[in-house]
This record gives sequence, C-alpha cells and structure tokens, in this order.
Amino acid sequence: MKILLIEDDPEIADHICHALRAHGHDVEEARNGPDGLSSARSGQHTALIVDRMLPGLDGLSLVRQLRAEGCQTPVLFLTTMSGIDDRVAGLNVGGDDYLAKPFALAELVARIHAITRRGEAGPPVTLRADGLEMDLIRRTVHRDSKLVDLQPQEFRLLEYMLRNVGRVVTRSMLLENVWDLHFDPRTNIVETHMSRLRAKMDRGYGHELIHTIRGNGYILRAD
Amino acid sequence: MDISCVPIRIFRTEGFRVAAIFVAIFALSAAIMAIVTLAVVDQELRDQIVQFANADIGAIKDGYRTEGMGEAREVIHQRMAAPGASDFFLLQQGATEKVAGNLAPMPPKTGILTLPYPGDTAGRTILGVGAFVAPNLYAFSGSDLRTAQMARQRILRTLIWIFAGALALALLGGMIVSRSFLRRADEIATTCRAIMAGNLASRISVRGTEDELDRLSETINAMLDRIAALMTDLKQITNDIAHDMRTPVTHLRHRLERARDQSSSVEDYDHALETAIAASDDILALFNALLRIAQIEGGARRAAFTQLDLSGLLAQLGDVFEPVAEDARHYLSLSLSGPITISGDRELLTQAFSNLIENAIIHTPAGTIVTVSLQRRDDEIVATVSDDGLGVPPDEHQKLFQRFYRLEASRTRPGYGLGLALVAAIAELHGASVAVDPQAGRGFAISLRFPISPGAS
Repeated sequence: MKILLIEDDPEIADHICHALRAHGHDVEEARNGPDGLSSARSGQHTALIVDRMLPGLDGLSLVRQLRAEGCQTPVLFLTTMSGIDDRVAGLNVGGDDYLAKPFALAELVARIHAITRRGEAGPPVTLRADGLEMDLIRRTVHRDSKLVDLQPQEFRLLEYMLRNVGRVVTRSMLLENVWDLHFDPRTNIVETHMSRLRAKMDRGYGHELIHTIRGNGYILRAD
Repeated sequence: MDISCVPIRIFRTEGFRVAAIFVAIFALSAAIMAIVTLAVVDQELRDQIVQFANADIGAIKDGYRTEGMGEAREVIHQRMAAPGASDFFLLQQGATEKVAGNLAPMPPKTGILTLPYPGDTAGRTILGVGAFVAPNLYAFSGSDLRTAQMARQRILRTLIWIFAGALALALLGGMIVSRSFLRRADEIATTCRAIMAGNLASRISVRGTEDELDRLSETINAMLDRIAALMTDLKQITNDIAHDMRTPVTHLRHRLERARDQSSSVEDYDHALETAIAASDDILALFNALLRIAQIEGGARRAAFTQLDLSGLLAQLGDVFEPVAEDARHYLSLSLSGPITISGDRELLTQAFSNLIENAIIHTPAGTIVTVSLQRRDDEIVATVSDDGLGVPPDEHQKLFQRFYRLEASRTRPGYGLGLALVAAIAELHGASVAVDPQAGRGFAISLRFPISPGAS
C-alpha cells in the first residue's frame, strides 16, 4: 500500500513511518497542509493519514477540499485533542476514521488496514471464512454447515471480525464499531463478549479462526 | 478615606444632588409664600386705614348734620387727640378755606386717595378717604402708610431669616446624607481594593437597613462568595491533579527503575516495557477524563443534542453489560417501561450510565444484584442504577461526585475517582439532577432525574 502521511511533528511522523514501513507499506510524507493537499491530489495513495492541526491549511479543510474535488481515498484523522466533538467533525467532512494522540502504533496500523478494506466491491450478502458462513439477510451463521445460535451482539461482533478477516482489530475498534462505545470501559466488555462468541462458533471445530493478539486485539484468520 | 477631597466629591454625589433639588424646591415655595403673605398683609393694612378713615368721615358727617360746623370741628379735634385713630384730618370749606385739621387745604377729591406727606419727605405717603360732608364742606381722613410699610418690612425680614435658616438646614442635611452615602461607597471601594490586593476573605459590611446600598453590598458579597467558592474548587482541583498525578507517575518510575536494575532477559525487559506503556496509558487516560469533564462542563456539547429513546439506550447497555456482570458473578436486571424520549447526547449518556453500571459491578461483592430502572413520573424521568451491595456511608454521599474522591474501601482498586464527577457533569449538561437515593437497608443507588421537557413523548 502507498500511504500519504500529512503530519507536522517530525518525531510522530518518524514513528508512524517506521511502523507502516515495518508492515511493508510505502509511505510518502508531507509536513504542512498545502504540500499535503497537492500530494494527495495525485490520487496515487491507498490511504491518507491527516493530522487535524497543520500549518498552512488545517486537516479538516484539507479533507473537505479533497472530497469536494471528488477524491475518495480513505482518510484517517489524527489529533492531539481528546475532544469528543472532534471525531464527529472529522467524520462529517468525509474522514473514515479518527485516532486521538497518543495512540499505540498497532492501533494505527490496524485502523489503516480497516479503512482501506472499505469500498472493496459492494456490500456482500454472505461473509465467508473457511468453514464459517454468515448470511446477512437471514441473520444466520453456520460453521461446517452446522447452525450456530448467536445473540444479536455476538452476531455483530462476528460480522465485524469477518469483514476484517486477516486483519488485526483492536479493542477500541470493536468498542466503537460493534457497541458504539467511545470511551475506555473499566470492565472487560470486549473480552467477555469475545469469549462467549468463541465458545459458540470456534470451540470444538478442529482449528480456531479467531486468535488473540496479546496487547493488541484479535484477528480472524482464514486459510 | 482621603478627607481633603471630600468637600469637592460631596457635590458630585447623588445624595447631594437630591438634597440640592429639595432645597431649590423649598426655596421656590418659600418665596411664593412670602410674596403672597406680603400682599395679603399689605392689603389688610390698607383696608384697615380706609376703614378708619370712612368711620371718621361718617362721624364728622353725623356731627355736622346734627349740631353744625362746631360739632364737626369738635369731632376732628377729638379724633386727632385719640391714640390709635387716623393720623391726618382736614375739614375745608370751598376750594381753599381750612376749617379744622392738620393738613393744608387741597383740591377736594373724593374716594380713596393717596397724598404726599406734608413737607416732604422721601416718598412717604398718606392713604385716606375724601368726601363732601355738605355741598360746600369737604372732609379728608387718612393715615401715614409708613406704619403699613414698616409692618411689611418686619414681616419680610422675618421671612428672609426663616428662609435662610431653612436653606442652611436643608444644605446641612444634604451634606450629612451624602457624607454617609459617600462613606459607605468608600467602604465598598476600600473592600474591593482589599480583595484586589489578595484579601479574598474580605466582605462589605451590611447595616441591615435594607436600603439600596445594603442590597448592593449583599449582591457584591454574594458574588464574592461565589467567586471564592470557584477559586477554592480550582485550587482543590489543581492540588488534586498534582497529588493524583504523582502516584501513577511514581509507579511508572519505580517500574522502570526495577526493570533497569533487575531485568536479566529479553522477556523481562519486554514485560517491564509493557507495564510501563500501560502505566503511561493510565496517566493519559486520567488527563483525558479531566479534559472531558472540563469540556462537558463548558457546555459546548449541548449543540449536539438529539431526540433519543433513553429506554432503548439503557436496554442496549443492559445487553452489553449483562454478560460482563455474569462473568463477575453479579446479576444485572433491567426494569424499563416503554420508549421514553429525551433530548440529549447519546454518546455522553451512554458513558454516564456505563459508568454507573460498571461502578455497581466493580465495587460490590459477588452475588450482588444490579438493577437499572427507568420511570416516568409526573414531571420528571428517573433513571436509577441500584445494587443490593454493602452501600456507602451517608456522610460520603455528597463527596462521591467530587473529582478524585475515592471511598476508603476502593482505594486499592484501579481508578482515579473521576467516574461520578463525569456522571455529574453529564447530568448537569442535560439539566438533570444526580443524587444518591436514600436506601432503606442494604445497597446503594444513584438516580438521574431529567425534567420533562415540552415536546417529549
């Protein structure tokens, strides 16, 4: 993937570049808004990482401008503000996801992977991975042709894992996308629901599909 | 107070202005009164002179008619000698022949007359009445107007003295009133200066007269109390932050030190780094929670309010936390009525109720039943999160909502005591009150009471 990083803080930019390159991505950098905008206009990037506060042209205006010109490249916003309104503002101008500094680099990588998946083909009717099959119309799940009975929340959790098959999803990605919770809970909500889901669709089927990535999150691996 | 500048400043005070206006009104009315009094007195004296003169003329006429010229002359002589009677008489035959009296003959004019004083002098005049006693016999009786003029002047002089005295009294009163007004205004200014200089405990004295200055003083004092309370809050928060940040940062430092001194393998270092990262995340989370509370208290979020079904929101949270409660060997029970719409911020309300539910799960022993209930009452919507755990001592109830307040029993558990402060801030943003429900017997409950807004269904 070729990723454009528009970030004015050299140290943060360096960390991000390092992490993305370690994952085999090609990173182009811009240090201010106007440079970032002209680079992004080339349209050759798989994803953009845009800081909210940039010299010359702020991140929000930059993305608004890009979207107005018809550029559809997925955008991940970064911000130092923990502001609760900032996320909404970022998504409103056409951002695809939002990450508040400081963040774990693994979180950033996971989210970049998740947003670049979007837009691949239209919404599928069935999600498949190995012997697992999810029918989004009938709301049913089969594993090796056996019906798996899931609660609605477990269904949504599995759907999100299936849509991100082969990619690490973090705890906060799950909290935000499955439960719409935008804060750090003090109870183990994710672990609890994940363990119930796995007990129903992953135990006793020979090999497990969902794996825990210690300190990072989970991944659904399909061969 | 700088005494030397007081006389000048007095003239600028409202009290003095009011006094001056009263003095002017008083002076005007006193002047009108004096003019009217003088006119009345003057007229009265003139009437009296004319009355005496008419009586004299009548007596002369009577004397002449009954007993002839001799008697008429006799009457004049008698009256001239009598004290308190008219001063001047004349009985004159034809145009020039004086028969009796103390005036020189004059052209016989009848009616009320004013004559120059005989032989002079400086504008003195005689007021009197002239009449014909018989066809060729003319009589005049009159008095010196000077008596009347002197009386008038005495009265005028008295009035001027009264007027001057009253004016002085009014001025003095005005000065005294404005002096006391000034003194109190100065008192307020002095207090304000003392507060500016840093003596925040200083307050303006109130006299209990409940006048405008008292009310002003009370308002200023109330304002100062409020500012002082906010300052204390701020100081408290700053202290709390400084104190509460020290603990996690110290822990982080200890861990790093231990890692440096005791780690001998890559795994040891990995583990140490991971715990250090987790500790720094905790510190950042603490900052974020504080910023979030500040942001919510700022009120900017109100712009993002939408109509939402609180019952549905709590039902969803029930679904999220039910398995969590079960894993912690608690029971989560919901008691929700039908859809209840309120105007609010979904994200923040979700966080507030999540906080309350998590508190109930974390701070109670296994086997506790946690109940989330929602009721519509007459004029409010009451959302309650309760448990049948060990409860909280009543004297701690108020403090629970303060930042960084932690119950003695929970100090060993992770957390910074910001959860309920955040709940309180979110409740306030929604115009809701938040309080600990008094519990009969066991357990603990917190209720958010939303006033029913017009348009809610």
